[in-house]
Amino acid sequence: MAFSGPVLLKRIPNDPQQRKLLRYADYVATGGYASLKKAWGMPAEDIIKLVVDSGLRGRGGAGFPCGTKWTFLPKESFPRYLAVNFDESEPGTFKDRYLSDYDPHVLLEGIAIAGYANKISTSYIYIRGEYHKQAKILEEALLEAYANGIFGQKHPGTDIVHNCYVHRGAGAYICGEETGLLESLEGKRGWPRIKPPFPAVAGAFAKPTIINNVETLACLPYILEHGAAWFKSMGTPSSAGPKLFGVSGHVNRPGVYEDELGIKMSTLIDKYCGGVKGKYRAAIPGGVSMGILGTDQFDAQLDFDIGRKYNVLGLGTAGVIVMNDQTDLVVMLRNIVRFFAHESCGQCTPCREGTAWMHKMLSRIVAGYGTAKDFDLLLEVGLSMGSMPGTTICGLADGANWAVKTFLQKFPEDFKKRLKRDVVPGVTLTPAGAAV
Amino acid sequence: MPTMEVDGKQISWEGKKMILQACLDNGVELPHYCYHPGMSIVASCRICLVEIESPDPKDPAKLVRVPKLVPSCQTPAVPGMKVYSKSPKAVANQKAVMEFLLINHPLDCPVCDQAGECYLQDYSFKYGRSESRFDENKAKKPKKDIGKHVVLYSDRCIMCTRCVRFTREISGTGELAVFGRGHKEEIDVFQGKPLDNPLSGNVIDICPVGALLDKDFMFTQRVWFLKTTPSISPFGSGGENILIQHNQGRIYRIKPRFNAEINKWWISDDIRYGWQFVHENRLAELRVADAAHALPMAWEQAEARLEQTLLRSVSERGQGSTLLMLSPFDTTEEMFLAARYIRKVDPQAAIGLNMSRIDGQDQVFTNPTTGQVTYTIRADKSPNRSGAEKMRRHFGDNIVMFNDLASQIASGRYATVVLLADAIGHNDDELAALLSPIANRIVLSSRPSRLTGQATMVLPVCTWAEKSGVYENFEGRVQAFEKAIEPPEPARAAGHVFWNMLGMPGTYSAAQVRQVMADHGLSEYAAVSIPVHHEKVELMEFSPL
Ligand SMILES: Cc1cc2nc3c(=O)[nH]c(=O)nc-3n(C[C@H](O)[C@H](O)[C@H](O)COP(=O)(O)O)c2cc1C
Ligand code: SF4
Ligand code: SF4
Ligand code: FES
Repeated sequence: MAFSGPVLLKRIPNDPQQRKLLRYADYVATGGYASLKKAWGMPAEDIIKLVVDSGLRGRGGAGFPCGTKWTFLPKESFPRYLAVNFDESEPGTFKDRYLSDYDPHVLLEGIAIAGYANKISTSYIYIRGEYHKQAKILEEALLEAYANGIFGQKHPGTDIVHNCYVHRGAGAYICGEETGLLESLEGKRGWPRIKPPFPAVAGAFAKPTIINNVETLACLPYILEHGAAWFKSMGTPSSAGPKLFGVSGHVNRPGVYEDELGIKMSTLIDKYCGGVKGKYRAAIPGGVSMGILGTDQFDAQLDFDIGRKYNVLGLGTAGVIVMNDQTDLVVMLRNIVRFFAHESCGQCTPCREGTAWMHKMLSRIVAGYGTAKDFDLLLEVGLSMGSMPGTTICGLADGANWAVKTFLQKFPEDFKKRLKRDVVPGVTLTPAGAAV
Repeated sequence: MPTMEVDGKQISWEGKKMILQACLDNGVELPHYCYHPGMSIVASCRICLVEIESPDPKDPAKLVRVPKLVPSCQTPAVPGMKVYSKSPKAVANQKAVMEFLLINHPLDCPVCDQAGECYLQDYSFKYGRSESRFDENKAKKPKKDIGKHVVLYSDRCIMCTRCVRFTREISGTGELAVFGRGHKEEIDVFQGKPLDNPLSGNVIDICPVGALLDKDFMFTQRVWFLKTTPSISPFGSGGENILIQHNQGRIYRIKPRFNAEINKWWISDDIRYGWQFVHENRLAELRVADAAHALPMAWEQAEARLEQTLLRSVSERGQGSTLLMLSPFDTTEEMFLAARYIRKVDPQAAIGLNMSRIDGQDQVFTNPTTGQVTYTIRADKSPNRSGAEKMRRHFGDNIVMFNDLASQIASGRYATVVLLADAIGHNDDELAALLSPIANRIVLSSRPSRLTGQATMVLPVCTWAEKSGVYENFEGRVQAFEKAIEPPEPARAAGHVFWNMLGMPGTYSAAQVRQVMADHGLSEYAAVSIPVHHEKVELMEFSPL
């Protein structure tokens, strides 16, 4: 483990006063697009091998090995597309936005490298609808990139012209799920697809498609520049490289910080965020889909093994939400489940009905009308949904499952003390003890 | 043929099949809502999930248990696979999905038309739990008038999207869509664009619950009172297979009957809603118009009178003075008997055939994505043109073409015409004018018209629903149908009339006539089979949890 200073954030000063948007010239002046030039001098297969060797895993939430994903493209099947996942709608997640607010060209360079390595004809940057400013920044950066021959040209040594577009979403979380994204990109309802076929075989417009997160692609110029071994020198054996952490909640200095994977949460908070405001009680490791870390898990190592080690779903987006002992976890869970109920695309019966049911139950509990049997029922409904048990098409329901499951399992008393009351027939209960 | 084991039972299939379809083909019922064999697979309702053990690709002798539940509708059947739909995990999911679908359901079965043929009811009984654990307020969703024939009760909808896929993939018209998201989503039409296409009624059939209901059928019958008779559409040359559903002598609705080669699962709205004529405006009596007075009479008298008239006409005006006018609405058996009888009394009798109603061009529906033809509405609106042509050929000489009729009649050649009128009558007035110079005009018809008004003798006959026989569609496919309801007094099948007139032995039945036809060189009619309709009777069992 060796992290000697910011990689992805090297062009973005820590001091907000000094941050500014880097234009093409600024980017080039600080070594930008040199990696692309280097890539263009290499055989495409060597780049793919380099990315495989670097151990780079997807930064969008699932942590799938990036280079391996690229090798799933069927040989000699063209055109191929790249969909850049900039939907960033997971609560607590704002790292991709931060990167492109100041350093949009690193993403474009990453796209150009991935495009060349995989012989992509068209790259679509699918950006979350609410990101007006970032869409504009990217549009302008793209114009600069086109003007400088980064896009709109043939990949060296091929006849494939690479174009890149910004496609704005309409503000649905589910369009960040990769196949929901593809549907939305095609102008359809953002309903995740059933697999097979997998996107690498039949993705956007039924053509082979790679989907990568913004941060994943932003790592590529640095891997090209410094090599796989350098990348692997950071992080842990299973989780290589530097990582952006978006920290929010009860910390003194919330924000996006970079360190290597495997850093302890406590170290991250103390080193960068000025420590916890008040007394640490719980945290969400990476977006509300991942479940909750307990009071005794403050030192959890933030890497791709976190799920297995600390009984959460995973690292997710590494958007850490810290909660002190003043936090009402019942209300917190209600808010999380409200999010899932609101964002469920509505295809799968368990997710559509189950999230809404759990939201109603939790709202009732928050209002002080919880009954003893609600605990088990909530848990049962939560556990019934998700792509891991196989009852739903996509992972949104797993997020709801893990949130409910881990909150109830790790903080049962918070709930149980709200469920003391039993319904007395004929008596109207007033909400008592409800901290809404 | 590859085989697999489903809940301990061996089943086999051919080609590429999903687990669910292979099971259904083998009569093994797995619960399903969103899956419909005629449309794309969405695997979204999640009731069909099963556990599987699949052969290890490296060592096919070894079975690997898949840790997740998998959708049987979307998972290909693999030889040697083992499928468990009754395992604790599968059953728990069935119960969970049923509970989810019912938490916001209004439970208004007593006033719902679908009750009795509702998959929510059936599956609740079979897979659901008996008590509700939902203590919250139910979501309320509106009832919407979405088209000419269809009402949507949104609160009963389970969002299977079958209806949406139908308008996208089968009718290709795309009127229906999902609006809203998550638990707030609803099926609806776009503003100002109602569900209005010639196949619209099919969405009612494929809706597994009482969400899409038929305005025409609404609140007229509880479905368990309906009796079902398999039949063939009389509304065109397609030969669509249908079911007539009726009670106490009244038709209440027409449903499609699956036929892989003809109409698949679908029928057009013309067919679905065309039956009203059966119960409207029927002829109430047998009638002879003598010079001065109209005379009602019984069948025996009428038959005697008919024969008298014909014999007198032939003896006075000679052979060849009789014209038999058939209609492509008659069954082949009826045409056969009528022609035989007329040729018996007048061996030189001319045989003519009324025109078909042709509505423009065939209307072809395609799946916009695949380009595949999904349904065709034939321009030729008569159900038995092919049968009529065949009978014309069988009875050989002295056939008149419709276009020659006018001049032949003007030449004064005919003294008597016996006409089997169309059930629907698209050119009654034209025919009436054409035939008016003929002295004796004997009309067999199911309903009054200008033809019967000016006839010298009127014999009320059955509509297709009240008789049996065969229709032969545009491609010559011979399909038999059965009588569904009793005719209103005093109507009788035209075939029956001529059977009696010919003095045939035994009781009249279309099947008998086909035997006679076979004996007269029309061997193809010997083996026409009658479709059997199996009422779905299932013994319900509770699944153990
Ligand atoms: C409900 C849901 C929402 C998601 N939202 C995002 C998102 O906003 N951004 C993102 O990059 N990945 C998101 N993902 C993960 C993507 O499906 C996919 O794994 C990722 O974009 C792949 O890129 P990567 O391999 O570079 O991480 C989401 C997944 C799910 C199930
Ligand atoms: S799990 Fe939920 S969000 Fe995902 S496809 Fe199913 S209904 Fe949609
Ligand atoms: S209206 Fe019927 S067919 Fe359409 S989605 Fe709802 S339940 Fe399915
Ligand atoms: S029938 Fe398989 S998921 Fe609906």
